Amino acid sequence: MSAIKRLFAGSGQRPLRQQLAFTLVAILSLSILLAVLLLNVLFGWQARHLIDQRAGFFMDAMLSVREYTSKKVNPIVAPLNEGAGLFRPEAVPSYSAQTVAGYLKERPEYREYSYREAALNPTNLRDKADSFETGVIEAFRRNPSLTIQSGSKSTPLGEVHYVAQPIKVTKESCLTCHSTPDRAPASQLLAYGDSSGFGWKLNEIVGTQIVTVPQKAVFAAKDQSLLATALLLVLAFIAVGLVTNAVLGQLILKPMREISRKAEEASVTPATVNFEERERHDEIGLLARSFERMKQSLAISMQMLKDRSGQGG
Amino acid sequence: MRRALFSLVLVLTACSNPSGSDTALCGPAGRLRVGLVGAQEGRASSAAALVSDQDQFRLRELLTASSRCEVQLEPVLSPEQARLRLQQGEWDLAFLPPGLTALALEQDGGYGLVRQLGRRQNSRSQLLVRQTSPYRDRADLRGARLGLLPRGSLTGFYLPLFNLHGLTFSQVRYALSYAELMRQLRAGEVDVIAWDGALPLGPADVRVLHEDGHGIPLGALALRQPLLQADYKSFLAQLDQNVSQLPASLGYATGAIPDLQNLQELRAIVSNVESWSLPRAGEAYAVYGRKQAEAEGGES
Repeated sequence: MSAIKRLFAGSGQRPLRQQLAFTLVAILSLSILLAVLLLNVLFGWQARHLIDQRAGFFMDAMLSVREYTSKKVNPIVAPLNEGAGLFRPEAVPSYSAQTVAGYLKERPEYREYSYREAALNPTNLRDKADSFETGVIEAFRRNPSLTIQSGSKSTPLGEVHYVAQPIKVTKESCLTCHSTPDRAPASQLLAYGDSSGFGWKLNEIVGTQIVTVPQKAVFAAKDQSLLATALLLVLAFIAVGLVTNAVLGQLILKPMREISRKAEEASVTPATVNFEERERHDEIGLLARSFERMKQSLAISMQMLKDRSGQGG
Repeated sequence: MRRALFSLVLVLTACSNPSGSDTALCGPAGRLRVGLVGAQEGRASSAAALVSDQDQFRLRELLTASSRCEVQLEPVLSPEQARLRLQQGEWDLAFLPPGLTALALEQDGGYGLVRQLGRRQNSRSQLLVRQTSPYRDRADLRGARLGLLPRGSLTGFYLPLFNLHGLTFSQVRYALSYAELMRQLRAGEVDVIAWDGALPLGPADVRVLHEDGHGIPLGALALRQPLLQADYKSFLAQLDQNVSQLPASLGYATGAIPDLQNLQELRAIVSNVESWSLPRAGEAYAVYGRKQAEAEGGES
């Protein structure tokens, strides 16, 4: 506030062009600042929405792979696992989803994405939940109505956005491999042993599906967009300032300087001066008409003085 | 608190390492796929025995900090599963026992050994039978039921089969650990089992029918070929500096490069046996395949 006061305190002390320039700079700077702050909020919201959208799409894609495996692949491959031969993990929806996610990661644009199915007591120890994942699973177990958790997660490699859904044992068929070792296929026991991945119960939340998507790149893009927008605003406002300045010079300053020059000339030789600007219909015309009247009055006064001095002589 | 301190130590170590490189050591998908089988064969019968939860988390954190990659750590009990992972190039880095180490070296575009794992234990591949059994010689085993560790084990699979060449068995059974094989032998479910001579036999109700003469080399930390072309020295330096954070059961030897000479003969045997048609669980099996001359030279 005091800065604004200081700016206008010199009102009338500087040329009009300078006063107007200072005012314009102040107004435009404040406008840019306000616009950038608002755009930062808007772009941030859009970036988070984009991250959520990507995470959601990635999760849905993996769920579809799981469903396909469960409905189409498992019925064909699972019987092969019943003997003591080689265990075929292709029958397991979790394996398929994580394998597909692995292939996706091989493409550079998906390198920073990840999909994991972590469980407290998995068959494959690769899927053992770490401390963060354990916290997520415990939250799902404490509150069964909770269907999704999301947020930022700090990793040694940077900040990532995660979305997690619970893995619930909803089918009795899941318990073939996960209830007791004596129900599990021999091939599974030979591959993974009889100590992990058992003791699951129907309707129990046993793990979580977590997708992580990079947020660094999205927020960097947001910052870039914000910077570009701010630069464009500055350029646009500079252009507006220059045009305003030119228009001001042409419409006000130049005629005023001309009227001022003529007024000075009129103070010495009023008869030789002609205020053509009086034809204008704006304030400049009004001013010129006033000067014209003043010039005529001056001329009359000067004539009267001249006549009086002639009679006296 | 301990985890925070550990992370701090890792960060400080990384910062204070003047030779440290900022290059990440990642696999093809931008992550490091790590297999953990351990340095010994057939010892762990459960996941918890292979690696505790705490050890697993600490190892994952150390590998992440050292490689600067997302780490996918897969502890595997079955050498058969590990063999498949190696064959399909699904691991970029692997903590392997001797049999799988030999196998890793045989893979196309294979693996290089960068550190030694395990401790000397005078391991020997043996064949055990019950004390009361009539078997006195390997030739007597015709028609017997054989118990093995899964394919991928040196003392529990490759060497026993190599030493039983020419015999036919009525059934071959597999178990994940020597303890389970011993249980099956004592319970009469099999007649002869593969055994590691470094393990105590326990009660005198079993005896050694045959002992292979090959010394069993130590396990190794193997790195996949594309990563060997990269700058992996700083990664190894990080592991060497934080050896106390690695599971003690791995027996990670700081700065020790595995002796490939010791593995040469066993590599030939593994490669030889792998070329045979191999036994399937629960089925009869004739141990038959062409024995290569170099491998035969090492047969005891």
